Amino acid sequence: MSEIETTGESRLEAISMDDDVVDAVKKKLGVGFWIAVGWLGLLVATVVLAPLLPFDDPDKLASGPARTGPSMDNWFGTDALGRDVFARTVYGARVSLVVGFIAIAFGMVVGGSLGMIAGYFRGRVDQVISFLFFTLLSFPGLILALLITSTFDRTLRTVSLTLGVLAVAPVGRLARAATLVFAEREFVQAARVIGAKHFRILTRELLPVVLIPMAALALLGMGVAIVAEGGLAFLQLSVEDISWGVIINDGRGIRDLQENPHVALMPIGVMFLTILALNFAGDRVREYFDVRETAF
Amino acid sequence: MAEASAANTQLLVRDLTVRFPTTRGTVQAVNGVTFDLARGASLGIVGESGSGKSVTAKTLMNLLPRTAEVAGDVIFEGEDVRRLASEGREHFWGVKMTMVFQDPMTSLNPVKKCGEQIAETLRYHLKRDRKTALAEAEDLLAQVGIPEPGKRVDQYPHELSGGLRQRVVIAMALACEPSLLIADEPTTAVDVTVQKHLLDLLDKLREDRGMSMILITHDLGVARGRCDEIAVMYAGRLVERSAPETLFSDSRHPYTDALLRSIPRIDQPSHTRLEPIPGRPPELINPPEQCAYAPRCRFARSDCLESIPDISGVAGMHEFACFHPANTDRGREALAANLAQGCTVAGLEISGAGASS
Amino acid sequence: MKQFILRRVAQLVLVVFSVTFLTFASLNLVGDPLFNIVGVLSGIPDEQCEAVARGEIEDTQSSGLNVGDCALIAQAKEQNNLDKNVAERYGIWLSDMASGDFGTSFVNGDEISDIVKERLPVTIRLIVLAQIVALGIAIPWGVASAYRANRGFDKASTVGSFGLLSIPNFALGVILLYFFTLRWQIFPSRYENAGWWSELKALTLPAFTLGLGLAATYQRLLRTDLITTLQDDFIHMARAKGMSDRHIMYRHALRPSMFSVITVFGVNTGALIGGALVVEQIFSIPGVGTELVEAVLRNDPPVVISLISVVAIGFVLINFFVDLMYGYLDPRVRTS
Repeated sequence: MSEIETTGESRLEAISMDDDVVDAVKKKLGVGFWIAVGWLGLLVATVVLAPLLPFDDPDKLASGPARTGPSMDNWFGTDALGRDVFARTVYGARVSLVVGFIAIAFGMVVGGSLGMIAGYFRGRVDQVISFLFFTLLSFPGLILALLITSTFDRTLRTVSLTLGVLAVAPVGRLARAATLVFAEREFVQAARVIGAKHFRILTRELLPVVLIPMAALALLGMGVAIVAEGGLAFLQLSVEDISWGVIINDGRGIRDLQENPHVALMPIGVMFLTILALNFAGDRVREYFDVRETAF
Repeated sequence: MAEASAANTQLLVRDLTVRFPTTRGTVQAVNGVTFDLARGASLGIVGESGSGKSVTAKTLMNLLPRTAEVAGDVIFEGEDVRRLASEGREHFWGVKMTMVFQDPMTSLNPVKKCGEQIAETLRYHLKRDRKTALAEAEDLLAQVGIPEPGKRVDQYPHELSGGLRQRVVIAMALACEPSLLIADEPTTAVDVTVQKHLLDLLDKLREDRGMSMILITHDLGVARGRCDEIAVMYAGRLVERSAPETLFSDSRHPYTDALLRSIPRIDQPSHTRLEPIPGRPPELINPPEQCAYAPRCRFARSDCLESIPDISGVAGMHEFACFHPANTDRGREALAANLAQGCTVAGLEISGAGASS
Repeated sequence: MKQFILRRVAQLVLVVFSVTFLTFASLNLVGDPLFNIVGVLSGIPDEQCEAVARGEIEDTQSSGLNVGDCALIAQAKEQNNLDKNVAERYGIWLSDMASGDFGTSFVNGDEISDIVKERLPVTIRLIVLAQIVALGIAIPWGVASAYRANRGFDKASTVGSFGLLSIPNFALGVILLYFFTLRWQIFPSRYENAGWWSELKALTLPAFTLGLGLAATYQRLLRTDLITTLQDDFIHMARAKGMSDRHIMYRHALRPSMFSVITVFGVNTGALIGGALVVEQIFSIPGVGTELVEAVLRNDPPVVISLISVVAIGFVLINFFVDLMYGYLDPRVRTS
């Protein structure tokens, strides 16, 4: 009776109890994903084309009467100085998106390379790099950012790179974990057997597969970077320019909130939608490629 | 079982049917299962994985997932078990009727001490205070033959061996002195050397306490010496039921017959070839209207593919569900005809080797 | 277990050193440390001060100096041991920090240790309260959604937690402030500490601001782990023992399902520290965050650096203790 295996029953249980099994079968990015991407696309297009579009100058005072609610002339109303909140939100998006993008790009390049090197070569190299990641993660992110921006300057470049440094460890850990997994797979082993150089294996064989989970993390990470920039702005330590954080911070005073809450709430809404879109898109990509195994 | 002995009947299962709707279709896990269990008696339910034996047990224990569709009657000591379930009756399961699971490695909570887990049952159902409950737990551990029970109560499950853990599980199940114990493959996951000890223990406890037991197993050999009656299940149906001696000497259903041939027996000459059962267990989703065993059956004739045989025979003595039972003339005829053709109506190729007597 | 602790202690020491070195370096190795400490005053040439010391020129407006400038510079130099080399300075600075001597602000002359003593407890109370809010919401929420996974409530929860995770905490803070304080006037608009009740009222909204997003994080993790745990045999066993679903969820399934939550608990406490600094701004809570911003605005690096060091070390310690908590939660870790 040794033929009797015990898997049959449990499979039955799995079918009847766990709808997740079924969900995993139908793999699709879904409508939600495309709505999210559409929103992000619209945002990027608006930001890029902003100078050409008939928006007010975000710094122009008395672009309308001060402290008015949304109207045809000023879609998001005006702030205490009569500046157009819509124009400010659009131009704020420029800084926020650029910061988010540069930060995550930096994290991908530096963290990704370090992580892949650690995962590929292992041993001493891995130990050193892993400890670096561990140390970086041991720092509360915003504090590290504070340290850098308070020590150096508050240009767009510094803020972006600072947040990029924060992205290094999470991205690097993911890249390392993914590389560890994939380096064992046949296609990599095969490349090794035919004598391919390490660099070639890393860039031609491993990079394409490691990029997939990293892409999902990049979308989520961009949201984190944008939020972090906003946090820095609240601490007066972000760019000396308009960003979403700066605008919201400008409009959050008790009197402003009482008399014209839209100054803060409108950009909050736009920001929320953007982060939501990034999170959602990232989550869908992650699920689509089923990269949960590689540990986030 | 005859109506006359109804007073002595503890558990009555009538026409029990369990289905699980899934996105791929409805799984027909249990189909029209009927049996009785007398007070103090022990019933063995034998079958492969997916035969519905565990689902039957879980139905009795009210452990099915909410999506399950159940029909039929389950009467325990005069109470309608399915109604108790829908009413959310407390202090019934775990007190009157309880269950032991297959894998002692996983059926104990890893983050609670053994003693606490036993005491919990007593505290929950019988409202014992913590101290009394723990003392009783220690006593129970001694009863199930665990050495140094005083030390074990303070140990975590991972500190005990598989055999000891299963004893802890049994102690836990027995805490509230149930009148029916369902043991679902209680020895499958433990060492062969420990199996016999555990089965002996269950037997002894059953006799000492006048408790009845349903022993669920895939191993006919396990059920043989320890059950008053054996029920064989296949594809959610009861296919044969009788006293063990009858079953082993004079099996009727070709599946039982094949099972017996696939295990070594002491009364056979050594080096007798064991015959594996050809094919795989059937799909339980949308099965065709035919005998579920037909595709694997050496006796299958065209009538087997046309309708499902009902279980019949002398109630309480020997029942089976087959058109061409083994060890009968009808069966022998069917087999001879199939052998002559070289294959059954279901397309199973058979040869003379190891032919049925 | 002993080895595990030893390894963690070694890591802890290394991390504390690197963290403190980074903060130290930002004050001492980037640019002119004297400038970092006293700002523009460092532009006063040494000769001028030496001349003042010799009494050759007056320490007054006429020579382009303010009264006491030179004394301040001398004090800054002495206090920060600027005549010694960097390694020595780091050593001294570290031992000073360890003994609670953080130096002085050269802008307003405050003792930094006093600032820490006054501000840190407020921030800690805020963070603790935020974690209580987060766990208090996440545990019943996670249990409820895992109990009937993939059903209506669970699906709605997924949407809800996704939304909460996408609101930056400062945005949530502004929204809560707007509705609960300004529109409905349920909570006070300024921090008051006249006894624990008034402080609790003042910290409630900030704690929810920080805790709601965290609750969503915890809820997701707890839900996933609970669903896995609920498939375990010991849950079937508990059901076979006739325990009520509620008893099983909270007494049997919850504890073995808390690991992921505990893992991120430490990391999130770190994130909370950052978040608390921001949220303090919105609700004008006199914690470390508001002081930090004030110090940044008045260009007072010694205060900034000290506060950052304190916070960073706190974060490292929290992570350390969270790791040790595993042992309590899972006896299997304790013995292996």
